[in-house]
Amino acid sequence: MTFSRLEDRRFVTGAGRYVSDWNFPGQRHAAFLRADRAHARIVSIDIEAARAMPGVRAVITAADTAAAGFRSLPCAAPIPGKGGSALLRPERPVLAADVVRFVGECVVCVVADTAIAAQDAVEAIIVEYEDLPVVMTAEAAVAAGAPQLHPAIPGNVAIEFETGDPLAVAAAFEGAAHVVSLDLHNQRVVGSPMEPKGCLARHDPETGDYFVHVCTQGTTGMRAQLVATTGIPDEHVHIVAEDVGGGFGLRFNAYPEYSAIMLAARLTGAPVRWVASRSEVFLSDEHARGVSSRGEVALDAEGNFLAFRFNFLNDMGAYIAPTGPVVAVLSIRACLAGVYRVPAAVANVRLALTNSVPMAAYRGAGRPVISYMIERLVDQAATELGIDPVELRRRNLIPPTAMPWKTVNGLGYDSGDFPAVLDKALGLADWHGFAARRAEASARGHLRGIGLATFIESTGGGASPDEVEARFGDHGEITIHAVSHSHGQSHETAYAELLAAVLGLPRERFRLRNGDPAVRLAGNPTGGSRTMHGVGSALRVLADDIIAKGRELAARALEAASADIEFHDGVFRISGTDRSVSLDTLIERHAGGPERVFDTRSSARTGSTFPNGCHVAEVEINPATGVVSIERYTAVDDAGNLLNPTIVAGQMHGAIVQGAGQVLGEHAIYDLETGQFLTGSFMDYAMPKAVNVHGLVIADHPVPTPTNVLGVKGVGEAGVTGSLPALMNAILEALRPVGVTHFDMPATPARVWGAIGAARSGEGRRFAHA
Amino acid sequence: MYEFTYIRPGSLPEAAALLASNEGAKPLSGGMTLIPTLKQRLSQPSHLVDITALAALKGIAVVDGRLEIGAATRHIEVATSSVVRQSLPALAALAAGIGDPQVRNRGTMGGSVANNDPAADYPSAVLALGATVHTDRRAIAAEDFFQGMFATALEPGELIVRISFPLAERAAYAKFPHPASGYAMTGVFIAVVGGAVRVAVTGAGPGVFRWTQAETALQARFESAAIADLEVDATDLNADIHAPAAYRANLVRVMALRALETILTSSKGQ
Amino acid sequence: MSKVSLTVNGKAVSVDVEDRTLLSSVLRESLGLTGTHIGCDTSQCGCCTVHVDGRVVKSCTMLAVQAEGSDVMTIEGLAPSHDASGATLHPVQQAFSECHALQCGFCTPGMIMAVAGLLKDTPDPDDQQIIHGLEGNMCRCTGYVNIVKAVKQAAVTMRA
Repeated sequence: MTFSRLEDRRFVTGAGRYVSDWNFPGQRHAAFLRADRAHARIVSIDIEAARAMPGVRAVITAADTAAAGFRSLPCAAPIPGKGGSALLRPERPVLAADVVRFVGECVVCVVADTAIAAQDAVEAIIVEYEDLPVVMTAEAAVAAGAPQLHPAIPGNVAIEFETGDPLAVAAAFEGAAHVVSLDLHNQRVVGSPMEPKGCLARHDPETGDYFVHVCTQGTTGMRAQLVATTGIPDEHVHIVAEDVGGGFGLRFNAYPEYSAIMLAARLTGAPVRWVASRSEVFLSDEHARGVSSRGEVALDAEGNFLAFRFNFLNDMGAYIAPTGPVVAVLSIRACLAGVYRVPAAVANVRLALTNSVPMAAYRGAGRPVISYMIERLVDQAATELGIDPVELRRRNLIPPTAMPWKTVNGLGYDSGDFPAVLDKALGLADWHGFAARRAEASARGHLRGIGLATFIESTGGGASPDEVEARFGDHGEITIHAVSHSHGQSHETAYAELLAAVLGLPRERFRLRNGDPAVRLAGNPTGGSRTMHGVGSALRVLADDIIAKGRELAARALEAASADIEFHDGVFRISGTDRSVSLDTLIERHAGGPERVFDTRSSARTGSTFPNGCHVAEVEINPATGVVSIERYTAVDDAGNLLNPTIVAGQMHGAIVQGAGQVLGEHAIYDLETGQFLTGSFMDYAMPKAVNVHGLVIADHPVPTPTNVLGVKGVGEAGVTGSLPALMNAILEALRPVGVTHFDMPATPARVWGAIGAARSGEGRRFAHA
Repeated sequence: MYEFTYIRPGSLPEAAALLASNEGAKPLSGGMTLIPTLKQRLSQPSHLVDITALAALKGIAVVDGRLEIGAATRHIEVATSSVVRQSLPALAALAAGIGDPQVRNRGTMGGSVANNDPAADYPSAVLALGATVHTDRRAIAAEDFFQGMFATALEPGELIVRISFPLAERAAYAKFPHPASGYAMTGVFIAVVGGAVRVAVTGAGPGVFRWTQAETALQARFESAAIADLEVDATDLNADIHAPAAYRANLVRVMALRALETILTSSKGQ
Repeated sequence: MSKVSLTVNGKAVSVDVEDRTLLSSVLRESLGLTGTHIGCDTSQCGCCTVHVDGRVVKSCTMLAVQAEGSDVMTIEGLAPSHDASGATLHPVQQAFSECHALQCGFCTPGMIMAVAGLLKDTPDPDDQQIIHGLEGNMCRCTGYVNIVKAVKQAAVTMRA
C-alpha cells in the first residue's frame, strides 16, 4: 500500500494553518523592543515619541503589566535538591522592569495597525541603561566574586541536585583497579523549528474570555503557565492551535511575549498578532544543552564497572524556564547508569545562571546529556585500558534475563534485550569489515573512524492522565480530541490508524483536533517521546469504550444478550450465528441526535517507557580541510511495538540528523565580554543540510513493554540520544591515529583541522571546548 | 524596511540622472544582498533605482576575443549560457555554484561585483582573469577596481554596465563554502591568460587578493607540486568564531590545489 | 504607494502597495495565499519559495514592485487542478506525501516549489544534483533523507 498521511494533503497544497496564517477583522500587529545588552539597570524608558507615531495603538511597558496584575513567569523543580533544598526562583517579569539580564529580553511591546508601523515605533523608543557586569559561562557564574544576576540567588546557583549514593560510590572508587575520568562539554544549541514562534490573542470584553492562538506542544501546559503569569482565571484562557511548524521541546513553555500579547489585545480592544522574525527567534527562543560535565568510572581488573560518578554544571541562562530543571535532572536520574550493571552511581547537577537566553528542552531533553557522558566515558575507558569498546560494553550490559531491572538509584527498567540490540547493530554496520574500509580510506589520505553507543532513554510518564474524546458528527465523521499537540509527529495519522484497526472503520473517518478551546481535556503536552504510549493507550481505551457502547446497541438490535455478542473487524455478531450488525450501521443509527450516545471521553495513565538502542557511526575526515563526512550510520532501536514503521523511521531520520547537526557544527555562541549573541541568524548558525548523513540504516529490535496496552515505547528522541555519542566516538576514533586524545563538540572543519595540526606538531592532544 | 521610493528607469542615462539627483538613492539589481540589508534596517535609501531591465546592461557575447557580459546578467544566465560555457567554462562553473538556485535566479554579476562582499565568488574571477569593469563613465581594470571589504573604485552613482573578460587558456575555481551561510569561506580562482598565471583568493581576507607567491611558483611549473608546500601568510586573513586565520590560510592552498587539479584533469579547465 | 499588476496562479491581480512591501507579503496578506511561509529574515530557509516567470525565487527577497508584470506561481497553484475538491496533486506533491518527505509541513511548500523548479532544469537528477538543488531550502524535521527520495520518485513520475 502506498504510504500517505492524513495531514499531508493540506501541507503539500499550502493549506496548513499556522499561527501567522490566522487573520481576524480589525487585527493589529505587535513588535517588541528587546534589550540590546546583556546586563543593565533600566534608568528610564521614553515611549512618548513612539506613542505619537502613525498607526500606533498602544505602547506597553512593565508599568502596564504591573497594573494588570501580572506576576513572575512560573518555574519549579521536579524533585527536591540535595539535602531537601528548594529551587531559588528568580523573578522573571513579562517585560523587564528594573534590570535586563540577556540580549533579547523583552522591554516594551508596541501595537500598531501594521507590523511595519509597530516596528517603526519600536525604533522611536529611547531606553537609558546603566550597564552591569556580565557573566556568560556557568563556570564563571559559580566562581567566587562573580557578578550576581538575582538577589534571590546568591552565588548564581539556583539549586543543586544529587541522585544516587555518594558513599557507595566513594567506597567503590577506593577499591577499584582502574579509574578513568573524562571532562566533556555539551555545547549550547538553538532548536530552530522552521516556523518562528508567534501569538495571536483575542479578548472578549463581554465574557472576559481570551483566545490565544499560539505555537504549542499542548494546550494544558501552555494555559497553566499563562494563567500563572497573567492571573487571568483558567476558565477565561482558551488556547487555540491547529498546525505547528516544529516543536522539539521549544514550544512547551509560555514565552513572556504571549502574556504581553494577551494584555495588548485587552488594552487595544482588537485581535493582536505578533510573529517573531528569525532574528528574534535566535535571541528569545529557549536555547538548550550547555552542560559542562565530568564523568568518572571505577573498574575492576576484568573491566567490570564498579561505579559511575558524574558532575554536571548547567548553564541555565538568565532565568529558570519552566521546563529547565526538568530537563537538567530527570533524565540523568532515570538513566544514571545507562544500559550497564553498575553497583553504584551518583550524579550531582548544579543549575547556574548566566546573562543569556534561558535554557530548556530540546529534542532528547537531558537524555543526550547523560548518554553522551556515559558512552564517551565508556569509550575512554576502553581506550585507556586497551579493551575493545564492544567487548567492554558487552561485559557490562544488563542481561535480558535480569529484566525487570532495578536501577542503581532505585528506579527501574521494565524490558529490553541490550545484547541482542548490540549484536544486530554490529551485524548491520559490518563492524568487523571496518578495518578494510579504514585501510582503503587511509590509502586516499583520509582518516576513518567507527564508533558506537549503547544507550537507554526514559520517555515521559506525564504529570496527568491523558484524556481523549471522540465526537461523532452527523455525517459519519469522527472527531478525536486530545491534548498532546502534533507538530510533525504525524498524530493525525497514527491516532486514526490505531482506532481504525480496532474499530474496523476506514482511517479517513477520523479527524484530529488538538487545540480546540471548546473541548477541555486533561492531558500532557507532547514531550518526552510520550504521545503514543500516553495518548495511544487512552485511544485504545476509547476504542474499547466505543465497542462496549456498540455491543449494548447491537444486543438490542439483534435481540440478544450483550454477553453473546462478539466484535470482529467492525462487525457485531451473535456468537455462532450469522446474525450481525456493523459498528458503522450502529453509528449511523445512533451517533446523531441530542443524546449523542457514541460520543465518548476516555483516559489512561501510563508510566515511563525505556526505549534503547545501539547506534554505530562511521566517519571519514579529510585532514586537509578537517571536513567530517558521515559515511555509514546504523541505528538499531528497541521502541517496543511499531504502529507505523514509516513514521517511526521518519522520526529516527530527523533526530539522527539533528544530533549530527550538533556534532558537526551547531553552536550558539555569545561574546564572553559583551554578552552579545554572535550566531543570531542562519548565516552564522550552521543548520544541518541535505549532505550530512550518508548510508543511513534504520532497523528495530522490538521488545514490547508490559507497561502499556500497546506495548509501545517512545521513539521521537532516540535518534539524538544515540547519535551524539556514536558520532563523537567515531570522530575521536578517526583522530586517535594522528594523536588526538580528546575532542569536544562541535566537530567543525576548522576545529577538526586545528586538532589534527596541534596533535601532529606536538602542541597538544586534547581539543576541548574553548 | 524603512520607506523608500522605487523607480524603474527606462534607460541608462535616466538611471544615472536619478542616482545623481538623489543623494540617498541606491541602484537595485538582483537585490540578493541589498534587500536582506534593508529588511534588517541596516540601510535607509531614499530611492531604489531598479536597473535590471535596462537593455544596456544585458547580453552575453564574445566580441573581439573577449567575453562581454552585461552587468544585469543573472548568475543562472552565466551558468547556463552556451557562449560562456564554450569561451570561459570556469566562469560558468563558478556562477553555477553561487549561493543557491533561488539566489542564482535573481542575483546579477554587476550587483555582486559592485557590492564586493569579501566572501563573494565573482570578484575572484574578475581579478584572476584581469577583467575590465566598464561603467557608465569609464573602464576600470580589475586590479584597480577592488579596494577591500565592500569597497570599490566606483564613485557615487556610477553604474557598472558590463564586464569584459579575456578568454583564458586555462582556468578553474574551487571554493570551500561556509558551513552556515554557504558563502565562500575561501575561494580560489586560477587563470592562465596570455601565458601568465594569476591566482585570486576570495573569502579568506578582508577583500579579494592575488596570491602572488603561487603565481610565481605555477609560472615556473604548472603542477600541484609547485604549490603543495607553499605556506600562506595568515597575518592579514580573517579570523572569527567560525575559523582562525590559520585555517583560512590552509584553505587557500587546499582550494588552489583543487582548482589546479580541475585544470589539469580537463582540457581547458572547467 | 504603487499599483502592482501581476498574474498569480493564472489569475490577473492588481494591488496597491507601499514600495517597501515584499512579494511574500502581497501573496500572504493581500491575496491570502498563506501557503507561502516565512521562516527567516536572511534569505536562507527557502520556506517562501515561489516561481516567478517560471524560475524559483525567494519571495521574501523580492519587492512586490519588482514583480510588476510577472507570472507568479505559489504552492496553491502548483496542482494541475487546484479547485476546492483538489482531486489532483502535482507529482512532486504526490511524491512528498508517499515518501513521507514532510513532517510538520512548514518548510514543505517552499521545498516542493524548489523541487518542481529543480526538476524542470534537471529531469533526472542524481544525489549530488538534488543536494545542490536544495541548497536554498531548510528542513528541520526530516533530516532530508525522505526528501531526497521524494525528488527521485517525482523525477521518475514526471519523465514517464
